[in-house]
Amino acid sequence: MATERTASVTWRGSLMDGEGTIDSVTSGVLSSLEVDWLNRSEDPQGKTSPEELIAAAHAACFAMALSHALAQAGSAPDRLETSATVTFVPGTGITSSKLTVHGSVQGIDADRFRELAEGAKNDCPVSSALTGNVELSLEAELVGAAQSA
Amino acid sequence: MTWDGTGARGTGSIDAGTGAFRGLEYSQPVRIGKGKEGKTSPEELLAAAHAGCFAMSLASELRNEEARLAVTALVVMDEVEGRGHLIRESQVRVRARVPGLAQTAFEETVQVAHEGCSFSRLLEDADAKVTIDAELEASDGN
Repeated sequence: MATERTASVTWRGSLMDGEGTIDSVTSGVLSSLEVDWLNRSEDPQGKTSPEELIAAAHAACFAMALSHALAQAGSAPDRLETSATVTFVPGTGITSSKLTVHGSVQGIDADRFRELAEGAKNDCPVSSALTGNVELSLEAELVGAAQSA
Repeated sequence: MTWDGTGARGTGSIDAGTGAFRGLEYSQPVRIGKGKEGKTSPEELLAAAHAGCFAMSLASELRNEEARLAVTALVVMDEVEGRGHLIRESQVRVRARVPGLAQTAFEETVQVAHEGCSFSRLLEDADAKVTIDAELEASDGN
């Protein structure tokens, strides 16, 4: 079944001097999030940006894909801490997304964990949408849980 | 970003590096279902990213301090045989008020903005379809 998600943004003025807000999304969890060009292209001053949202999407997508792969391998994770760092070059676009995961998982060894994490990195829908122009990298580490595989 | 439990039953939480948002919950049933339980999903975040990216690209081309743009992106994810779940489509809808701009110039500018939006490029390079439905609304006083 196809799933659909919508987000609405209002922008006022020019790019350099104007500003926008992410007004609403399907789930209702985001509203009145401010965005502007300076926060996007230089140091962020507490405002989000399209690239930060893509980073959030990528980290969430990867976490879901990996949790599914681990569960199918018989080792559902206790906890996965993931992050995505997206690099944006003005004029070029997004050039890289760096994923990290620290996993607390019972009954699996570090090599197998890394192998499944690599697969999740390659197969999650957001990775697929970035494929082509964006360099994807991964740092996967098993922490906390007994490595008793 | 944290995730607790399996893909089907677990739940996650998302924090932004800038602090613009934190503690956003998401889960697989919400992702593939209706999305009305107050949890976000990767596709919803992509929709927000695309709408923001397109709005900035169009603002950049219009160079008009009085411009007011309402941009909505609808992202569609679906399962493709042999390839799993993929982002298939993003439908961008633009309603613009731009004092002093003619319809033909608006249409040309929208096209340039589409070509200049880095996220539109990414999606198209990944074989996702990007459509733009843009309408120039009458400005106040016209």
